[in-house]
Amino acid sequence: MPPRIPSSGCQPQRLLNCLESVPPPSPVPLSTLAPRHRPTASSRSSPQWSSSSSRPFSTTPAAQATKLRRKFQEWCDKNGPLFRETNPGDTNYVSRIMPVSDNQGTEPDQPFPNNKAFRSEPVLSERARETIWWSVMVKGVPLKAVSAEFSVDMRRVAAVVRMKEIEKRWERENKPLALPYAYAIAKMLPRRDLVEGEANFEPINDIHVHSYTMQQLFVPASESREFTRADAAKAFGDRVLPPDAKMRIPELVQMERSIVEGTPPREARAQFIANAGASEAAFAERQRARQQGAEAKRTRVNTDRFEFRFEKINAEDVGPTGRARKAAGWRYGAPLMDRRRGEVKIPTRVE
Amino acid sequence: MRQRRLLRFHGLKRPRVRQTWNKYNLFNLTRLRTPLLQNKTFFQQKWIAKSMTRGYHGEHIKEYQWERMFSRRLLSAVNMDPAYMAQYDGSEQASGRGSGQKRRPGTKNHGPRNKGNINGPTPYMQMIFAPMERRLDVAIFRALFASSARQARQFVLHGAVTVNGKKMTYPGYLLNPGDMFQVNIERVMAATGRPKMPNKNQKALPPSSEATEAAEGEEGEAAEGEATEAAEGAAEPVDADAAKENHRAALKGLKDRARKIMLMKNVHMRAKQKQSLRKFLQEVKTNMDRTRKASDPSKAEMDDVERELTALLSDLSLTPAQLKAEAKKAYIERNKKRDRQLAAAAADTNADASTTTKTIRAGAAAASLGLLTESQQSVLKWMMQREAENPHDASKPYATPWKPREWMSPFAFIPRYLEVNQRVCAAVYLRHPVARPGKSEVPSPFSPTLSQLAFNWYLRRG
Repeated sequence: MPPRIPSSGCQPQRLLNCLESVPPPSPVPLSTLAPRHRPTASSRSSPQWSSSSSRPFSTTPAAQATKLRRKFQEWCDKNGPLFRETNPGDTNYVSRIMPVSDNQGTEPDQPFPNNKAFRSEPVLSERARETIWWSVMVKGVPLKAVSAEFSVDMRRVAAVVRMKEIEKRWERENKPLALPYAYAIAKMLPRRDLVEGEANFEPINDIHVHSYTMQQLFVPASESREFTRADAAKAFGDRVLPPDAKMRIPELVQMERSIVEGTPPREARAQFIANAGASEAAFAERQRARQQGAEAKRTRVNTDRFEFRFEKINAEDVGPTGRARKAAGWRYGAPLMDRRRGEVKIPTRVE
Repeated sequence: MRQRRLLRFHGLKRPRVRQTWNKYNLFNLTRLRTPLLQNKTFFQQKWIAKSMTRGYHGEHIKEYQWERMFSRRLLSAVNMDPAYMAQYDGSEQASGRGSGQKRRPGTKNHGPRNKGNINGPTPYMQMIFAPMERRLDVAIFRALFASSARQARQFVLHGAVTVNGKKMTYPGYLLNPGDMFQVNIERVMAATGRPKMPNKNQKALPPSSEATEAAEGEEGEAAEGEATEAAEGAAEPVDADAAKENHRAALKGLKDRARKIMLMKNVHMRAKQKQSLRKFLQEVKTNMDRTRKASDPSKAEMDDVERELTALLSDLSLTPAQLKAEAKKAYIERNKKRDRQLAAAAADTNADASTTTKTIRAGAAAASLGLLTESQQSVLKWMMQREAENPHDASKPYATPWKPREWMSPFAFIPRYLEVNQRVCAAVYLRHPVARPGKSEVPSPFSPTLSQLAFNWYLRRG
């Protein structure tokens, strides 16, 4: 049996005594509430906890701020005015205060001082987006021509128009736009207005570097041979296309070629716009034809409740496993694996 | 319960740079250095590099998931200059002994050049985490719609994100080039705006009135100027100070009430609200009657001002777009009027003195009565428009009027593979991030050394 503790010495009892002796209505004097890790001279001269009534339960001093935390506070006090708010008229990255980081110099457009390869590049301003939308949707300039004129990637031009259309629709529907947010973000980022005298916005004639071409290759060729880009592509592999075939806007190369051959630039430019328009129209026509072809193979039967769509399929398309990806349905008896452990069911495409 | 890995998310002792806009994170970013690796084994070096980089790139993603996403094929692109392509077929690079002819020393002609690329090596090693940038949650964070990748993930899980117009609840959805994702505007505003401080409600109000006061100050000066003009031109004893005070008080009252109306405008107008609007207009009228009794200018002028004011106040219940149009119209009209006046002044300067003094007197009268002159009206209108765009609204989960959160600008950048429209909070994933000569598109705070070591870790060779 463990030794018994007299009830008066027991902790809860002491606690009770302590609590009872406190006069409940009198407010606690302010001096007792002062932080204890900073003892003042007055409190040291006169014992702070003279009366047992106001004595707290713990006498351990509050933990002091660590050195790191103090440093952080100092840093905040020093740099808070810089980084708390937007830097009017400019970007505001930490490289501003770090001319050297990791033993190398930094540039002000580097959001990460250690990574020189990543820069904060300009975005299109509201004015630029409006200009692009206007030239595509109102003036009807082909996308390729708009891209070449403003030196903005074709995919970006399409994206700008697509989102601008949504914006305009919301305006018509009186749906609230995130205007204060848009203004604030515009103030933080470098911008381009796409006006005369600005540097090119982005490279528009990018070609993807094929992984086959990333290896070194030794091809013996006679000195007299004209070894062109097309030959080089062929040397790297049968499926590697030459850069000329990979150009996103081949009409631009045509234009430059005609300029070299002596066509006046103005004429060449007009021809380029015409060619771009024609190629886009042909693309649209091809797409329409494809859709029409798919529709022709389908039979629609409209009842009052459903629309049935019938298509001819080949039962052999499912392949030997019965699970060929593009085939319709699966072979009888082949189990559906969608409940198997580790089967990823996140969609891979949204249309 | 908090997850263990979140306990020291922004710790100072063992700092990790994270995908957030936190001030601790900013401090840790300034302290980030490539650690001393010379005295470590190769395995240790790779381990350190891996743990540091993974602390930033998708730390909320499990390691085996990332290992499945990792690809050793790093994408890159080069710009092909059409002018170069048109002039040369590439055979000049194979001339000589097969590696291009050497430039003659001393000649300025550098030969054919494929322009549009930076002269420098392609930083492939900074592209390891490119597959991570394809994830929907990371892309939302990169588009500046969320203050951290984890918050972006929550947006997706809570159903606030659509991809190509359809709700997408998988944060791990890998965006395809051309996909458009859109986040609920209110979520974005809450995530990027200042938090609401319940105890600072008293303090939260003044900033809005601060801005108005700044504008008010301008107005007050304008009024003062006009008052002194009036004193000179018409030689009337006008107590400028009293007029100013009067004017200010009236303006303030007007503004406060107009703000209330703006708030009401957001909701569908109900009978009760219409009643209160009518009551408000009535109040304005009685106030003006009182001021008319105090001093007695010509009645026709007063009626004009009154009509204007009433028109202005009835405009307040317009939609923002209409308001904008109104403001534009008013601006054009004002300009026209000024032109006309100037022309008139040029035509007969001395004969028309009476009319100019009349207009001045009208302005002075309006100012002394605490009513609005034309310029003040336009200022008020402009302020109303701003207010309509960014209203004070206690029902919002963020501090209103909306302001960007503190410590945000050092983290604000949009990588090139995204095109963002902030007004509708939508963004298009244009293409996969690529490396170009001298540039990489994957936002990563680490030095090439560390990235290369991390890449070697994931190669799993030797």
